[in-house]
Amino acid sequence: MTKFANAAALEGFRRELLRQRDSIKGTVTICGGTGCQTSQAKKVIDALRAELARRGLTKEIHLRPTGCHGFCEQGPLMVVEPGKVFYCHITPDDAAEIVEKTVIKGEVIQRLLYTDPVSGKKIHSEDDIPFYRAQDRQLLSQNRQVNPLDINDYIAIGGYASLAKTLAKMKPKSVIDEVAASGLRGRGGGGFPTGRKWLECHDAPGEEKYVICNADEGDPGAYMDRCVLEGNPHLVLEGMMIGAFAVGASQGYVYVRNEYPLAVEHVRAAVDQARELGLLGEKILGSRFSFDVEIARGGGAFVCGESTALMASLEGTVGEPRAKDVHTVVDGLWHKPTVLNNVETWANVPSIMGKGAAWFKAKGSKGSKGTKILALTGHIKNTGLVEVAMGTPLRTVLYDIGGGPSRSKDIKAVQTGGPSGGCLPASKFDLPVDFDALYDAGSMVGSGGMVVMDQGTCMVDVAKYFLDFLQDESCGKCVPCRLGIDRMLEIVTAISEGRGKPEHLPLLEDLAETMSLTALCGLGKTAANPVLSTLRYFRDEYEAHIKQGQCPAGVCQALIEYNIDESKCTACGACLRACPYHAIQGKKKEPHHIVAAQCQKCGICHAECKFDAIQVA
Amino acid sequence: MLQYVTINMDGALLRVAKGTSVLDAALEYGVCIPHLCHVPNLSDMGACRLCIVEHVVNGKAKVTTSCTLRVQEGMVIKSNTDKIQRLRRNIAELLVAEAPNSRAIQDIAARCGVKTVRYPFRNEKCVLCGRCVRVCKEMFAANAIGFVGRGKERRVASPFGKLSEFCKRCNTCLEVCPMTITPCAGPMKPGEEYLCNKCESQLMEIASAPDQCFFCDLGEGFQCSRH
Amino acid sequence: MPPRAIKAILEGRRSQPQQLIEVLQDVQADYGYISEEAMRAVAEGLGVQPLEVYRVASFYKAFSLKPQGKHVITMCTGTACHVRGAKLLLDQAQGQLGVKPGDMTDDGLFTIAHVNCLGACALGPVVTENGASHHHMNPGRLRKLIDNLRKEEKAEVSHD
Repeated sequence: MTKFANAAALEGFRRELLRQRDSIKGTVTICGGTGCQTSQAKKVIDALRAELARRGLTKEIHLRPTGCHGFCEQGPLMVVEPGKVFYCHITPDDAAEIVEKTVIKGEVIQRLLYTDPVSGKKIHSEDDIPFYRAQDRQLLSQNRQVNPLDINDYIAIGGYASLAKTLAKMKPKSVIDEVAASGLRGRGGGGFPTGRKWLECHDAPGEEKYVICNADEGDPGAYMDRCVLEGNPHLVLEGMMIGAFAVGASQGYVYVRNEYPLAVEHVRAAVDQARELGLLGEKILGSRFSFDVEIARGGGAFVCGESTALMASLEGTVGEPRAKDVHTVVDGLWHKPTVLNNVETWANVPSIMGKGAAWFKAKGSKGSKGTKILALTGHIKNTGLVEVAMGTPLRTVLYDIGGGPSRSKDIKAVQTGGPSGGCLPASKFDLPVDFDALYDAGSMVGSGGMVVMDQGTCMVDVAKYFLDFLQDESCGKCVPCRLGIDRMLEIVTAISEGRGKPEHLPLLEDLAETMSLTALCGLGKTAANPVLSTLRYFRDEYEAHIKQGQCPAGVCQALIEYNIDESKCTACGACLRACPYHAIQGKKKEPHHIVAAQCQKCGICHAECKFDAIQVA
Repeated sequence: MLQYVTINMDGALLRVAKGTSVLDAALEYGVCIPHLCHVPNLSDMGACRLCIVEHVVNGKAKVTTSCTLRVQEGMVIKSNTDKIQRLRRNIAELLVAEAPNSRAIQDIAARCGVKTVRYPFRNEKCVLCGRCVRVCKEMFAANAIGFVGRGKERRVASPFGKLSEFCKRCNTCLEVCPMTITPCAGPMKPGEEYLCNKCESQLMEIASAPDQCFFCDLGEGFQCSRH
Repeated sequence: MPPRAIKAILEGRRSQPQQLIEVLQDVQADYGYISEEAMRAVAEGLGVQPLEVYRVASFYKAFSLKPQGKHVITMCTGTACHVRGAKLLLDQAQGQLGVKPGDMTDDGLFTIAHVNCLGACALGPVVTENGASHHHMNPGRLRKLIDNLRKEEKAEVSHD
């Protein structure tokens, strides 16, 4: 393929693409994101492709494997056009029937439709599903329209037009002004105004500058960046190109988590295709702007989400943060001025340049503009990726979109912002998804992870979980983070084992303050947040562990015992076979019992028993 | 030619060479800022965090380590506010609970006002201050030891756990180690989490004017740059 | 596929210290772990100190310095998987195989590991076996997975 000489050539190519696609009678869009691939999407895609080929429909019907649609719980899922017919939980065996009935005849297969768990009704079209209806999917909706491995799909929906417009008509400074005017703030966690970051880098002295896309999404329970990069890599690249033009960089890096092989594959392919068409390389679209992108795989370290650590990692060394008395916009990668933004931040840039700052600013709350993608997981009915306008109340996200609790227990808390964030109780569910509001409540929007916890979750255990995670992930360089987390974990473990003392709680708070003020980097400064927020909102649970020696949720192993209720035990033997420690004994047709000395209190028997015979005391 | 800048430290105006760190500037003028990982003439990594000060910018005070902060014209620094004292004490407490058997660290803890320790003692052999690592790398260009692993696994080790071919056997790593100075004789066993007061008696004089350097004995203990 | 020689992995990246992590990723992928010999060869090829290679290899989670079992069972212990009972799975695997995370069984068949998030949070708890993922896992399904792998191995041995 030839390289585009200028903006007009790109537009001409797009028109030609649309003309060619006019003859397509229908489109079958099937999610091939990591989530759906886990549930066999690849086999479904192969089966559909074979079926279409067998019937000679390859030309008329466009089969489009795409990135994540967001409704992972229902995967593998597909949408058949025309009609936006939405099918979920498809298996390879359904392929023939789908082609026969829906693709060819336009009939709807009732069995494959989504059933609304609230009303119990079958829903035909994607647009009518409550999970999607209450969202505002500016970024995610594009995932459905493009095959991430085909740049033509992206160009067909107007991709790279914002870049063309920027290069042809704008000065770097006016690009920065536009981004600043939009009110875009960093989606990675900090919420720093993007325009200001770019301006500082633009003004920093030096010829050589860099832009970096942070796709080292380390927050457990968050995967929005993976989906955007995996599903629509060109959108991210286009954002980076515009940013590079604005700050004066000619080299960019995408730093992707190694745990995301599909994202690595897709973004690599995207870079190759963009290079082929001259969208990366020398004198892009006939302008004087030259830019290229390199992909680097992360080594698996949460601390590399911290800008200085990520840059150290890109330089091929150990990902330890360094003191940021001089900011990375001045002294960054290879000691050159560097702009580092997260995937979702870059992905917002093309539409800001294309539709204007005013359009972007129209959505959102006072201090937080635009939309935000959230990863809704945990004890909730509809798990998946959700995109809402900033300022949307948590309650709307949890109940209208999420459909409420997944088990018979009420929602107790929602954990937002990952290990740097906190747990918000039900009384705070009227708070909006807003950088400042959540920060004031002791948590943060962070990168957008939302883990829902119901009454069966012990908040002391949650605090312990995060400390465990952070201890594993701290680089260990500075004292407050390394020893602070270590001591906090020691104390919280003591509390969870019934060895806690009343003076432990003020000690935790004192230690938390020291860590937040004196740690070297953001990881250490925020490491105490999960403990602080649970102490703030769920102090009674800590006190129950300390004073009564009880775990109200029945989670903390040292404080509970498992017993078999003989009246309910059917002697099915499921628990006996399941116990990895051989702590359950019993003969056929006789109620089983647990040998206390051997029981490790793992709770596997409890999870396995279908008759509710195993009880927690 | 050396260029000079003037900074405001605790109300006093100090004239110091451009490019020096706030910690070096303070020590040069006899303002006592406790420090452990700082070694004169080596790069600073900001690991121990004991040398924290408040850096006032536009009326807002930000806590930062003075070893990594470079002096700038007109800079306002507060080295010994109540808040800084409290934070330093907490950091020193964490350190001394880790290595109560180190005379140097005990001295620092006493200097920072640690009276009782709220954590069980551990008697670790190393507090990861990195003095040895930087001396080996920067003074002798040997790189025979370095930080290996991360988080809880972080330790100072030679490559692959074997003596490095680059080691010059100069023993400087031992000389700068805060753990190799004569251990304290006080009751430093787990379960006896208090300081023996022997160090404190040396500090009686200092306590009356804690922000000034008296060339105290303990300075020798933790190898303060003034010695 | 037989592992490539370290020389082949270094091809085109010699004397480029910034490629250290990428090179180690490839060594890990080909060999399943990174030996001292490999680290020394990489150090020489890229022109970095052996200590630096050792530091990097021991810092990042993606690298294992010990040989791994034929089947690496990885439990996702991200927050979303945790609240849905990922700990039970870790207990199950540990109890059933008698090894701690990171260690290999004596017969060299299994290594259990945990990862802090695989990004398939909506489908948790997630377990991967040599990269193939299994979603909505519970202790019973994990037990069967391990049992089946064991059976397959036994069948292979008897065929040999």
